[in-house]
Amino acid sequence: MNSLKKEFSTFTLVLIPVAIAINIAVGQLVLNLKLPLYLDSIGTVLVGVLIGPWAGAATGFLANVVWTFSGLFPQAMAWAGVAAIIGALAGVFGRAGLMKSVGMVVVAGLITGVVAAVLSAPIAAYVFGGVTGSGTDAVVAVFRAAGLDALGANLAQGGVSEPFDKIATFLIVWAVMLGLPERLKARFAAE
Amino acid sequence: MIEFRDFSYRYPTAAADSLSSLSLQIPRGQFCAVVGANGAGKSTFCFAASGFIPHFFRGEAHGSVELAGKPLAEAEFGSLAAEVGIVFQNPFNQISGARFTVREEIAFGLENLGVERGEMQTRIQLALEVVDLVDVAERSPFELSGGQQQRVALASMFAMRPQVLVLDEPTSQLDPRGTREVFRAIAALSEAGTTIILAGHKLEWLAEFADRAILLDQGRVIADGDPDTIFAMETMGEVGVGRTQFTDVAAAAQRAGMLKDHAALPVTLAQAEAFFS
Amino acid sequence: MQAQSIYIDHPSALHQLNPLTKLTFTLVFLVAAFALPNAVALIATFVLILVPLAASGGLLLPLLRSAFWLVLPFAISLALIQGFFSPGQTALFSLGPFTMTLEGLGSGLTFAARLLLALGGTLLLMLSTRPDKLMLALRQRGLPESLSYIVLTALQIFPRFQERARTILDAQKSRGLETEVGLLRRLALLVPLIAPLVLGSIVEVEERAMALEARAFSYKTIKTSWISLEDSRAQSILRAAILFFGVVLVYLRLTGFWPQ
Repeated sequence: MNSLKKEFSTFTLVLIPVAIAINIAVGQLVLNLKLPLYLDSIGTVLVGVLIGPWAGAATGFLANVVWTFSGLFPQAMAWAGVAAIIGALAGVFGRAGLMKSVGMVVVAGLITGVVAAVLSAPIAAYVFGGVTGSGTDAVVAVFRAAGLDALGANLAQGGVSEPFDKIATFLIVWAVMLGLPERLKARFAAE
Repeated sequence: MIEFRDFSYRYPTAAADSLSSLSLQIPRGQFCAVVGANGAGKSTFCFAASGFIPHFFRGEAHGSVELAGKPLAEAEFGSLAAEVGIVFQNPFNQISGARFTVREEIAFGLENLGVERGEMQTRIQLALEVVDLVDVAERSPFELSGGQQQRVALASMFAMRPQVLVLDEPTSQLDPRGTREVFRAIAALSEAGTTIILAGHKLEWLAEFADRAILLDQGRVIADGDPDTIFAMETMGEVGVGRTQFTDVAAAAQRAGMLKDHAALPVTLAQAEAFFS
Repeated sequence: MQAQSIYIDHPSALHQLNPLTKLTFTLVFLVAAFALPNAVALIATFVLILVPLAASGGLLLPLLRSAFWLVLPFAISLALIQGFFSPGQTALFSLGPFTMTLEGLGSGLTFAARLLLALGGTLLLMLSTRPDKLMLALRQRGLPESLSYIVLTALQIFPRFQERARTILDAQKSRGLETEVGLLRRLALLVPLIAPLVLGSIVEVEERAMALEARAFSYKTIKTSWISLEDSRAQSILRAAILFFGVVLVYLRLTGFWPQ
């Protein structure tokens, strides 16, 4: 509980809505460009690595609350738990010093992607009947045709796209951290 | 009211002091302009006068800044907001976003202070009138122009009834129209009795409204006194602050021997008219 | 400027209800969406309960329109994927090696009906409730002010961030981001655009934090509220009754009462 309180200074509190706005702005941008990525958790991962696991988890969870409220994506609430775990993982990797070299950043993205795929598949399978209502359903169909059940096919589809997406996300966050002014870095380190 | 006592401050990662050995007093009700080049210490001055140094910015501070005789460093940071208000450059960043209309945005600070609803109503209405925003009270602050948003920030502070209002370049991101609107609003707050500390570049406007000017260079006070006198000084250029075109034209005319030497140089348009007539 | 939420203002009793009451409705619609046994029960609940509620708030058309566009892609995917790949005996037609079965199609459409009820229930709340009022209602029940700040502020600032993203993108269009075919090539163009957008926003956080402190956010007192909410004994009884109904649905589901 103590570490929870420590992570939520006014500075963190202000960072989180900005991070959520980044999630939505970049996520919608990428969606419109019809790229086979989501990039809708850049802000979540950024808060995780800059501040810590609790703040990362809060950002992920609340980002999905905001997606729901905005009307852009009301079903987002169903994925709030997964988003929270992505943020928490980013926090753990940040604390463990994985954001220091590009190789480690890729590993952190890969692990996060695999975890996200494993956690998302049951939600897609049992809450949404095994589909996501988007272009990735074509991939799900291929796996179903190959004989997998709903859970297996969603796991396979997520296993293909999530690690790719989260590696890209972690790399962008890494690039942003490299560009942060020294003064701000010192502040984040002190938060 | 606000007193700097041999105050020096250095930011955490900085190599030199941003303010060094400042000693000065700003009495209640004064409108004090703080001028200087970029990096001269204007923002640092604002943060020190409002308690953000040392409460929000870590780093190394010596001496003290006192509000009504009490050092800001010893005050509880959360309660300082009730005593000193501050307005920044960027209009967008100052809209909290936690409330949906201009009226509610102004109410936000009062809610945090625990002001009762009836009292809120009175204060919000007065603040809207002083900064001339009554017409847009029910609109989203995000739909407004930069000048209007800055006036929302001013009204939000004014409604909280601080003893001192610090403004850090409040018009630097605004067009001439926005600048005019905001300066008029600040003048109205000053007339209502608020002590004003304004850091900025727009000498014409400052000369019109300020009671006093403080010129900073490399963290030190190099001039302190009557705005008209200071803004017309030759040394302004040397420390990187451009004088107004009226001052420059009049100085050139003087050098060319067109005018008698000892008349005070004008800073504003009105002064220039008097000077040349 | 884009609207920050899908709330539609309208003078109605539904709008006047305490947000907690509407939230309770939504929760029970969500429970019902996954507890009810078949498409008939799901559609009946949608038509007989949700539709009249929406209509009473003058929100019928917006709700139906949003729900339709949200559910349509799911319905198509569900019909095709479940239809072809779920187990079933009654063949309808074949496409290559795959056969669409009546049972598969049925289970797909049942799932689409579940989503329709769940999303419809969510939309009912969002369309009829100002987000700040919902947050105030939750704060009155102990939700920390900080969580409410995060949600409301994010809702209001994200359209501004979208504008920034769009501005950057428009400036780059001519450089082939939209026309370029190669995936890696497009990604390589995109990343240098996103990083500065993110960085610029993070740099502003310091000033936003100071502005929030200047508004006495850390002031230690019992905060008051400018907007007020109505609530009544009748509404709290109504909430209890709806919740009880939800619990009954879960009970029936868990005990296998429904004919499957």
